[in-house]
Amino acid sequence: MTALLELRQLSGGYSPIQVFQNVDLVVGPGETIGFFGPNGHGKTTLMKTISGVLEPWSGDVIFEGRRMNREAPRGSRRFRNFNYDAVTRRRMDPKEVARAGLIHVAQGNLLFPELTVDEVLSIAPMAAAGRDSGNRFGLAQVHALFPRLAERRAHKIRFLSGGERQMVSIAAGLLTVPRLLILDEPTLGLSPKLRKELCQSIRAIRDMGVPLIVIDQDVAFLSALIDRLYLFDHGRIARALPRAEIPDHGKLMSMLFGESLT
Amino acid sequence: MMGLDTFLAVASGGLVLGALYALMAAGLAAVWTTLGIFNFAHGAFIALGAYIGWQIADAQAAGLGLALGVAVAVVVLFLAGVLFHLVLVRPFERRPDIVTASVITTLAGTAIIESALNLIWGPRSKQLARLGDGEIDLGLIRIPVADLVLIAVVVATLSGLGWFLRRSRTGRAMRAVSQNREAAELMGLDVPRLYALAFGLSAAMAGLAGIFVGGLRFMAPTMGADPLMKALIVVILGGIARFTSPIYAAILVGLVESFANYFVGLYWTPAVLFAIMIAVLIVKPSGLFGHHQRTL
Repeated sequence: MTALLELRQLSGGYSPIQVFQNVDLVVGPGETIGFFGPNGHGKTTLMKTISGVLEPWSGDVIFEGRRMNREAPRGSRRFRNFNYDAVTRRRMDPKEVARAGLIHVAQGNLLFPELTVDEVLSIAPMAAAGRDSGNRFGLAQVHALFPRLAERRAHKIRFLSGGERQMVSIAAGLLTVPRLLILDEPTLGLSPKLRKELCQSIRAIRDMGVPLIVIDQDVAFLSALIDRLYLFDHGRIARALPRAEIPDHGKLMSMLFGESLT
Repeated sequence: MMGLDTFLAVASGGLVLGALYALMAAGLAAVWTTLGIFNFAHGAFIALGAYIGWQIADAQAAGLGLALGVAVAVVVLFLAGVLFHLVLVRPFERRPDIVTASVITTLAGTAIIESALNLIWGPRSKQLARLGDGEIDLGLIRIPVADLVLIAVVVATLSGLGWFLRRSRTGRAMRAVSQNREAAELMGLDVPRLYALAFGLSAAMAGLAGIFVGGLRFMAPTMGADPLMKALIVVILGGIARFTSPIYAAILVGLVESFANYFVGLYWTPAVLFAIMIAVLIVKPSGLFGHHQRTL
């Protein structure tokens, strides 16, 4: 059985700074995994590279048996000064990744400030066109998951709170019929009440059978949600823990940073 | 001062100009907001539209009627806009200095189009017939039917554009891309195609405007320079908070131009317009109806 997502020796960053190196990862069909690690160690950069917003430096991203990146161009330095797309083509196209069904809900997504909630949700299915998937999501299901969006349907994104924006992002992601959904710190900076509401919705999404990759800082939330937790540290995967072995927040921190001072 | 009949005549002339500027500025703003670049070839598109319309419609050329001329000009200009984007803008899209690069490439495009017009049709001035003959007598003033047709066509075109941007899925996607390119890519929208579409629509509207300009003034390969400057004033004056803001500004500029022509003379009108623009920018830097957010 082919893996859902496979990363082979993936490296990347913001040229000339390399952020992560030689990441190997396999997500099996139907699996939900989590990422945990200190800020600024490359989790978001890794996700952006998987979804093609950033170009991978080396290594491969394989989604459902299909390689999403092109081969690194041979002798590409020679073409450095040619800027024509035909000469230096993008190594990865985020549109193709999204159309293959790998949907990335970006961190702190500002989305489209001047569009209303309904307008955003109406364009989301454009990427889903023609994709066959077990998880067919319609507007009705999305509104059931996020009742707030039904109330706010005519509001512009600009006037929504951070949590509501996150809900619109996730809802739009669901409407594109994902085969794997990446949620990058969905609960970042939310009020406790909204956070609880969002965590419930994310759990509901997992229960509908959508495989997830979730980055979060809340270990309790993650350990209830995921099958495996990856500790990400200094641009590489430091450890992989099955759900049963996920310790509490303090233990996890000492695993990452050595013994705590207290 | 002026009598009521003169006032009405000047005002109606201003409204016609305003409608024409609205058509040109809306196209210019569509590219500016979506791609974030300023298309200096918009004036050349206007000239190209006028010449293609002339080639189809004029008795000295194909002589197939103005209606067909309009249709062909709009279609050809749409394709020309798409091609222009593909050849002169898209290759530089991923460069960090796309804004400066596109200034040069669109200016180069202007030079190429104007030279081509010169080569094909020659420098001799031509004129297009206007859409609609005769005048309507409204008691105090008489308004040419062609002016009413112009206003009607502009209103219909801009309403159509508004409908497309607000109601259709592709139009909404185009607005989305203009507001946040990365989020649009992550959603799987085809960004280069939407950019090409914006360029094509903009050029098609410029072609339509060119036909009207060719009916009001003599046509020459460089005829687009003055309309481009006016459209630029309109877009900067109105801001680009929404796609309607250049339209209001266009009507204002048309009226100001018409009254300035009457009171201070043709020669000083550009100075008056620029003075107003500068004064507005000092008080409201993002334009009369501006927000800082650029969008459609």
